[in-house]
Amino acid sequence: MFASVRSTTLLGVVGRCVDVEVHVGVGLPGFTIVGQPDEVCRESRDRVRAAFLSRGFAWPNRRITVNLAPSGERKGGSGLDLAIAVAVLIADEQLPPDVAQKYAFVAELGLDGSLRGVVGAAPLVGAVRERCVVVAAANAPAALAAGAHQVVVASDLAHVVGCLRGDQQWQICNEPVALDPDDHIPDLADVRGQPVARLALEVAAAGAHHMLLVGPPGAGKSMLARRLPSILPPLSQDQALSCTMVHSAAHVPMPASGRVSHAPFRSPHHSISLVGLIGGGTAAMRPGEISLASEGVLFLDELGEFAPSVLDALRQPLEDGVVHVSRARTSLSFPARFLLVAAANPCPCGVGTPGACVCDDAARSKYLRRFSGPLLDRFDLRVSVGLPKVDDLVDGVDGESSATVAQRVVAARQVALSRGGGTNASIAVDQLDVVAPLAPGARAVLRRELEVGRLSGRGLHRVRRVARTIADLDGAPDVVSEAHVATALRLRTSLAALSGGHR
Amino acid sequence: MSANTVRNLTASAAELHLTPEHIAATALATLPAIGPQRLRLLLALLGAVDAWRTVRGELAASDRIAALLAQENFAHIWRQAATDDVLRRVEAALRDHHISVVLATDPSYPSALRGDHAAPAVLFARGNLATFTQRRAGVIGTRAASAAGRHFARGLGRDLSRNGVAVVSGLARGIDAAAHHGVIDAFESGSSGPIAVVATGLDVVYPREHTKLWSAVAECGVIISESPPGCGPDAFRFPLRNRILAAASEVLVVVESRATGGSMITVEQALSRSITVMAVPGAPQSESSVGSNRLISQGAATVCDATDVLVALGLNHQRHITPSETRVPPSADEHVVLAGLSGGPLTFEQLVERLRLPIAEVALRLGRLEAHGWVVANAGWWEALVAR
Repeated sequence: MFASVRSTTLLGVVGRCVDVEVHVGVGLPGFTIVGQPDEVCRESRDRVRAAFLSRGFAWPNRRITVNLAPSGERKGGSGLDLAIAVAVLIADEQLPPDVAQKYAFVAELGLDGSLRGVVGAAPLVGAVRERCVVVAAANAPAALAAGAHQVVVASDLAHVVGCLRGDQQWQICNEPVALDPDDHIPDLADVRGQPVARLALEVAAAGAHHMLLVGPPGAGKSMLARRLPSILPPLSQDQALSCTMVHSAAHVPMPASGRVSHAPFRSPHHSISLVGLIGGGTAAMRPGEISLASEGVLFLDELGEFAPSVLDALRQPLEDGVVHVSRARTSLSFPARFLLVAAANPCPCGVGTPGACVCDDAARSKYLRRFSGPLLDRFDLRVSVGLPKVDDLVDGVDGESSATVAQRVVAARQVALSRGGGTNASIAVDQLDVVAPLAPGARAVLRRELEVGRLSGRGLHRVRRVARTIADLDGAPDVVSEAHVATALRLRTSLAALSGGHR
Repeated sequence: MSANTVRNLTASAAELHLTPEHIAATALATLPAIGPQRLRLLLALLGAVDAWRTVRGELAASDRIAALLAQENFAHIWRQAATDDVLRRVEAALRDHHISVVLATDPSYPSALRGDHAAPAVLFARGNLATFTQRRAGVIGTRAASAAGRHFARGLGRDLSRNGVAVVSGLARGIDAAAHHGVIDAFESGSSGPIAVVATGLDVVYPREHTKLWSAVAECGVIISESPPGCGPDAFRFPLRNRILAAASEVLVVVESRATGGSMITVEQALSRSITVMAVPGAPQSESSVGSNRLISQGAATVCDATDVLVALGLNHQRHITPSETRVPPSADEHVVLAGLSGGPLTFEQLVERLRLPIAEVALRLGRLEAHGWVVANAGWWEALVAR
């Protein structure tokens, strides 16, 4: 008559437990799903019935009511199919009443009764990880990655029923698939010459400083940015899990292991919409690129071509590491702890060299207006990247490999973490004097920068944080020296036009 | 009616010495597509007030004027535009911005321009027109100047002013502004004030970031323009301005110029008036010195400091005060970095690669050089400010 079976649905990047309640009773034959199902969910009615008939189960020609509890929240996706089918079987007394109590079901049904994988398996399973979770074979790695207590796989509805009756055996998965090799990440050894850009990359990785690369086309800005993940410290268990959840929920292609094991690198095209970048959407709340890049690198190539409104929306997540997306029906939070790397040409003609640039004043100032001051201010590192030298390209030796640089990065991060608990980019202003005290020479340099108006108060703090990171990479002395501050200032090029500076 | 309006308005404008002629001339200058030549013809044949009334149709036109008015439907267009309201507006603008009007017939009209074949019939001025009685040297150059070029122009402006030579320039970005900054820096009693020849109306500061510089120039010297108040930076006004700039200079110094551009137009105008053109030699690979270097190869005299200009003007160059170098001399280590920059602007990275020194070391030396004024950074490019 009545059955309740555990399943889950996806809300943003988090799974929520859903109890699928089915009542089979007297009345005109019918099948109703209540509890705010969305379109895909409602269609499961037809999939479940077809699967029943294909696999030779009797379809109860009575009044069937399915309630997705709690009924106050909207449910989406096809992952409830199997749970509905099992609940109908129990309510129709084709299965014993308490047979599904320690299970949770997360799979879509094909019309032939086969089990199919679903989008967002990792967060879905994550919500019911204390139970034994029944999934399709395709979702087994993701389910294991989500840390489920036990994962079992079935091929089709008949197999599930057989196992629940005890006639057949589940196919038990408990061997996590080996982690993917990281050989697909481009290596820093490919970058020849360009010592300053390499240093900037290392500083960005060590201190988690956002970076803007400015240079003419062909300078290797994208090439440098794509190599940043290879020198980032390895993801911790928690970070990897959180990345896996987000990527799974957004249906981003996953490696064979079902889990994200390396810092992600996302490089959206500049035509991206606000919702595409930040997250949201009408049908289902989908994480945006900033959440997919969380714990990794968000690379915005041709920064000047992005819609200004899209770029300005980055400012809050950059500060908070999390983005709150509110819509009429729901309000969700997505993780957004990404390292922002952007690339831009110095001017519309792309040359930038004083005297050789052919842009007129109007074109140049129009181009520069595209970068809002507050956004530029968020970049701790603003680096001029010049064209690589021909000698380096043709005859040059490979640069230092990522592995070597990564060792220094990890060591510097260790120093930073042991000091304050966070990365250098997140040192609080009132902690700067404690964590990054300045040598007298360094103090004088910064004082002068402030006096001539090249540095704002906020800029000063950013330079001090970068200088701290440079010092950490340079043997981690307690006091930040003048050379560290001078280097930090050289890694903070102004994008301003050629006017001014009449000296 | 119109003449009465002119007279009534003028009563309140006595302190700027605005006569009905001046206001009518200003109003005529605002007429659409009138241009310097037609304006000069009207004023020469009729005088401003009568020309205004003729344009309005209140006076009969002579044959020559009728022929002029018949061109391109001017009679109709100008009659539409020439309202009493225009008179009121131009007078208000002149008064609000303290702009004086000088007609070619006025005694205060600069004698330097009086003999010129294309002299403007009406000049608008802010500041002291007596600045024109000084010896005058034009200092011009590209807007996209190198830091070294701006540095030179500034020093040249300062030294010329100290030696009693008025620096004539156009108040554009780059070299022009640097030269006048130099004049303003050093301005004291006994030195010469700046003369600026601009293309816009004197109430329209262009480029806008030069607002302070405009006021300073008007205070120490004079800004002139042939455009009536309210005229914006239309492209056609700049070449016209350049002819006045050339005519107002006794010698013309090109500090930095590309192969083409406004500076080269000014040079042509100067050459057609037999005005001596001089140029500052630049590095051969510097894009911003191509034009000035070419001038030298074509026979222009070189300018390496203010003395060269003083000699060209026939002044006693003994009075030239050699400015003492006030910058802290670079250390031996810093000199290596300075020498690395001698071939033109480099990015920090290029400099590091050239010097083959540790990044931190180069950063440190560069920072010290910059603090002492030996190098300057511009949107990621570093330039040395050597010599003087």
